[in-house]
Amino acid sequence: MRRLWLIPIACVVLLVPVAVLAGSGESGFEGVVHSIESRYHVHATRIPFLGLVSMVSRKATNGGVGSLHVAEFDSFSEPVDGDELNRMVEQKLGAGWERIIRETSKKGSEQTLIFVHPEGERMGLFVVDLDGHEMDVVEVSVDADHLNQNLGPYEHHHHQSDQDGDESD
Amino acid sequence: MKNRIITFILGAAALAAPALAQTSALPLPPPVEKELAARATNVTEVTLGKNMLAFAAKFMNGKDEDEAATRKLIEGLEGIYVREYEFDKEGQFSMEEIEQLRKYFETSEWSSLVRERERKTGESTDVMVKLVNGETRGMFILIVEPKELTIVLILGPVRMEDLGKLKGLAGLGALGDVEKNTNAKEKEKTKDKDKKGGNQ
Repeated sequence: MRRLWLIPIACVVLLVPVAVLAGSGESGFEGVVHSIESRYHVHATRIPFLGLVSMVSRKATNGGVGSLHVAEFDSFSEPVDGDELNRMVEQKLGAGWERIIRETSKKGSEQTLIFVHPEGERMGLFVVDLDGHEMDVVEVSVDADHLNQNLGPYEHHHHQSDQDGDESD
Repeated sequence: MKNRIITFILGAAALAAPALAQTSALPLPPPVEKELAARATNVTEVTLGKNMLAFAAKFMNGKDEDEAATRKLIEGLEGIYVREYEFDKEGQFSMEEIEQLRKYFETSEWSSLVRERERKTGESTDVMVKLVNGETRGMFILIVEPKELTIVLILGPVRMEDLGKLKGLAGLGALGDVEKNTNAKEKEKTKDKDKKGGNQ
């Protein structure tokens, strides 16, 4: 009975490091956004009801586009080191993500990173784009086959209107 | 006995490592690239592996003839690797560094297709192709300008006449010019042959 008081203490001792590690080890979209917030002292603007938008877009495109995450930073005042940003995003995304495009300027005002992650028939895309004082972070999952089927009719219309334009010239 | 097994496993792993490295589609960037990137004002890097190319190909539905041809071309490729370095002033890279880049990608399988040098401006263009059993299995392009450096490496079966179709992909705009350049060279060659044939 005398040793029962040890149980809650042991629980706290065991749980605190787990909670700390879980907080610092946040990965994926949220991990990237929080890292950017703390490193550059900026605050991300989230789009309200994005979960609903994501669900609607998935339905509207027959599964072509889904799992949409968007965060926008409006007030980037300090220059961004491209290498540091790249390292930070790579670390937070973790294994499985492969960088396909990187565009970086020494002045630090323009940075683009595009990562992809194969998810079976789908492809996860992760975009970080800084232009001047504005940065956008977007994650989306795309099914090329389904998206292509949905875009098909519009593409045809687009081609036709282009040709009409050429003829009228 | 246990030690022998461990030694055997380590030995096998050591032997397999270079073989695995050889089968990977895209090469690791040469060390000189890091130095160039550090000095450049703007850097663009595009690395498209087989997975990504297969994904990109899915967006080409094949209804259009051009799109179908591009899809076929992309599906056959093993990888595309583009590096573009822009410098704010001239003299930010040396000829030795350019030579290091050429040598890194140049192996016995590669042969030069276009080699253009302009002494006045220091501009140069190199187009090399990888030939395996008489078929083009890769292409390396290095374009050097006083304030810009472009490297394009395409691995997989490539046909000259299809090159221009890839210029729509990110960072591959230069391919349109290369296609024109190589076509012009081929036309010149056939003209020369015709002339020689006519003289005989």
